[in-house]
Amino acid sequence: MYLDAVSKISTETSISSSTKLIEISGKKPVYETWKDWQPSQISHHGKICCEIAREWITATDFSELNGDCLYTGPRWLRQKFNWGASTFPIYWCEVVRRDTLDCGALAALSHEVFRARGVRCYRVQLVQKFSDVATSQWTDSWNTGNEPLPWVKDDLIYHEGCAIETCDRVVKVWDASAGWWIDSKPANGYGALLAIRLSGFNLPAGKCFEWGEHILKANEWKEII
Amino acid sequence: MKIYISGLYSGTNPQPGVGIARSLRTAYPKAKLIGVEYSNRCSGIHWQDFDEIWLQRPWDELNLDTHAEEIRKVLDSGALWVSSIDLEIMWFARIFPDGHPNLLTPPESALAQVSKPAIAAHAGLPVKIPTFVTTEISDWDLHAFCREHDWKVWLKGPYYEAVRTRNWAEFEEKRHILSSAWATEKLFLQAHVSGYEESITLSAYKGELLDCVRMRKRELTELSKTWAGDVSEVEEEFLAPLREVIRKIRWTGGAELEMVRDADNQLWLLEWNPRFPAWIHGSTITGRNIPASLVEGATGIAPEDSPALGEEFTRVVMEIPVRPEFPLSPLPEPLGGKIGHSLKHPSGLIQFASKLHNSNFFEGKTNGNGNGSKFKAPDVPMSFIDDLSGVNLMQIETPASLFLENTAAGYFGRAGALVKELSSKELKVINAYSIKTNPDERLIKLALDSGFLAETISLLEVKKAIEVGFQPEQIILNGPAKWWRREILPEGKFYSIFCDSIEELDQVLEKLENGELHTSYLGVRIRTPNVVSRFGIPVDTPEVFEKLIEAVQKIPKQYKFAVHFHMASSNVGVGHWWHLFESILRWCSSIEALTGKLIEILDIGGGWFPEDLQKDSAENFRKAIALIPEFLPNVRQIISEPGKALAQPSMAVAMQILELRNSEDSVREAVVDGSIAELPMYFFYPHRILYKDSNGGALLPLGRGKTKLLGRLCMEHDIVASNIQLPENAQVGDILVFCDAGAYDRSMSYVFGRG
Repeated sequence: MYLDAVSKISTETSISSSTKLIEISGKKPVYETWKDWQPSQISHHGKICCEIAREWITATDFSELNGDCLYTGPRWLRQKFNWGASTFPIYWCEVVRRDTLDCGALAALSHEVFRARGVRCYRVQLVQKFSDVATSQWTDSWNTGNEPLPWVKDDLIYHEGCAIETCDRVVKVWDASAGWWIDSKPANGYGALLAIRLSGFNLPAGKCFEWGEHILKANEWKEII
Repeated sequence: MKIYISGLYSGTNPQPGVGIARSLRTAYPKAKLIGVEYSNRCSGIHWQDFDEIWLQRPWDELNLDTHAEEIRKVLDSGALWVSSIDLEIMWFARIFPDGHPNLLTPPESALAQVSKPAIAAHAGLPVKIPTFVTTEISDWDLHAFCREHDWKVWLKGPYYEAVRTRNWAEFEEKRHILSSAWATEKLFLQAHVSGYEESITLSAYKGELLDCVRMRKRELTELSKTWAGDVSEVEEEFLAPLREVIRKIRWTGGAELEMVRDADNQLWLLEWNPRFPAWIHGSTITGRNIPASLVEGATGIAPEDSPALGEEFTRVVMEIPVRPEFPLSPLPEPLGGKIGHSLKHPSGLIQFASKLHNSNFFEGKTNGNGNGSKFKAPDVPMSFIDDLSGVNLMQIETPASLFLENTAAGYFGRAGALVKELSSKELKVINAYSIKTNPDERLIKLALDSGFLAETISLLEVKKAIEVGFQPEQIILNGPAKWWRREILPEGKFYSIFCDSIEELDQVLEKLENGELHTSYLGVRIRTPNVVSRFGIPVDTPEVFEKLIEAVQKIPKQYKFAVHFHMASSNVGVGHWWHLFESILRWCSSIEALTGKLIEILDIGGGWFPEDLQKDSAENFRKAIALIPEFLPNVRQIISEPGKALAQPSMAVAMQILELRNSEDSVREAVVDGSIAELPMYFFYPHRILYKDSNGGALLPLGRGKTKLLGRLCMEHDIVASNIQLPENAQVGDILVFCDAGAYDRSMSYVFGRG
């Protein structure tokens, strides 16, 4: 789940027409709380310390592939790093030495290794439904000062992953924290994905991608259910 | 309506009988469901949906003719029969070659089309079949198949069971177990396909596809069997050709197509089971009652609705009451000193398979079963025979190591010619002979004469190379303890020194600086992550990688930098080796970029089988050479170390038969005067064996059979071959020549039991 990759909200994200309709109807979309959040980033000191770390991640990733298809999810990242709270900004030279990373950092690493493999890839932001029990547990275990977690709202959470384009404009969505491909089949209930936004560097607004039966417009939130 | 349902085993790897009954009970509440089982230990007999249980004696006790007659009566009386036992279905197909209107299983001709591993019926479907070979080919070729597929292979029985075999010793052990269990030597080996498992289950009657669904496995048991899954429609791209195939092969009954979807979205068909899957009621839960559609197709009687309760299903463990008429039997006594009660296959299915084999029931079947197979002897290069024909095998003192002079010269000559051909003005390719592979002076001399460098792991090896004629500047020093016996360090400049650790790199740098050592190139050996090895600098943590970068940065400019990578392809597999090679290119590229130190030499070693290196005119090697400049544009030399590929075929071991033993089950044993002391690599790969009778007949390659060759040593594991076909007229004094014994068999042979 998230951290705050970017503590300040710097960019206004365009909102799709379907979202506008929802807003006009008076019902707030499930991603409302996080609609302007940006995907987490790993920062670079601009020095060799970070360059060594980044080279280590991408070279290790290729070794860990064991000759499998380049589209294989980099599950080794999750075996190396536990999932838990991260602090931001986080630099490459710090990331590789951490025992624990959050979904934003893991997603950013996954994105980086897919990119290094030569796979066209994007960042995704997600809203998932869990339960009050789960979110209160996370609130207790992640929080040191009883402050509400910004990535938790009631039984909803903000989450990050990455998407790869396996053939022209067809994507698969990788949950780097879980180590699995997210099912595009809509589901409700515990762990269900409710909304998704795909974004990428220099990705033209309005470019569409097929994900299962969904059409995802670049940089726009889409409710799944 | 009366429906017989057979196959009620309900353990963690269950048969589908109970699921079929649950589905049919939902669709036909008033039907009389009769469960058929062959053991009262199959817990499905206690399932509440069965109105009656027809319990037969286990298959090994059953009079098949009587049983067939009873089944015929049942079917003639109008009752339906749905079987969920593969072997029973095959047996039915033979009893009812044209089918029976009430027998809801496929006819013999249809079964032939879906027999594994080829599954001829897959033609037209958007699936591929994973590469496979029959185990009837020679052991030499089976080992090559395993290497080619990185030892990610499954040894499969004729009907059930698939076991992973990770190395040759494991393969031999599992082959013996499966062959004994299923009473056949005809198994098959299939390449593993990585991905997600999914199935299509269907029902059909007389060639008409009635219904089908797709199921993706979502939770698995320890045996990778379905524990939970989701059910969905089969898309038209699959459905249309499937309908055609079913029509063409005139399928009747249930079926399950077990598949794997790889990361590239390709479907691979592993099995076409001639019955419903054990999870069949999971489909019914989602509103698709496939067994009901089969019964409706056969009878025309419409089923009641099976309401969809969800799109996904899962299993739970539950306790049910035992039927009083079938009280539980006691557990069998554990065998003396053993653990467990040996309860696998309580209905005697394995014995049933054996019974069918013994009655030649499967003779001529395409699914590769039967006892009377002839195993092909491996091809042996003519040069082996030519070289050996110059040796008077009857006169030599055995066991004897035989140098195949012309063979060796041929291999070294071809390796020399290949690197010349691959060299260009910008990139020179050089061979180096790894002396440890076989320190025989004749081979070292051949290497020298063929323009090789010498690769050594100790100063004693350096000394030997110099004695044969190498100059220090033609010698590479490698390995973890290369400074052992430092007092014999020669004067002069080495060609290259590769350090095995960062600590060693620091020490060598110090000695180079103070003039104690001299070398043209200085390098490191790298151990990439995810590789089981004790050699080289492990770059599997960012900390070590950073230290390596710092250490390399310290290398003074006058030393040209080199990187060494070595991994035995015969152990890790050919495909994996090439992946590691590409991986090392990436690591080298990173090191070069981060240190600014240009890599000028790349030294690659491979523990190759000659066939693997030479395959398709060394096409992989050519591609690799071509790939290097893309990652490492400053590399000027590639050092190739094909030691094993050259030495292995260059020597053979001759041994003599000392004693022939006949045993009751006709598996003979022969005692020979050779042993694992002369063939220490016996456990790692099969050797091609030539036989020569004591009357001076021609050398004959031996195929696979049932004779064990027992070595001369009083050691339990001194068995130099376990499954060869000795000629009928073999006699004491006849000679066996084990080929492919010129590499580590020779260098690691030891003296034992000679007094």
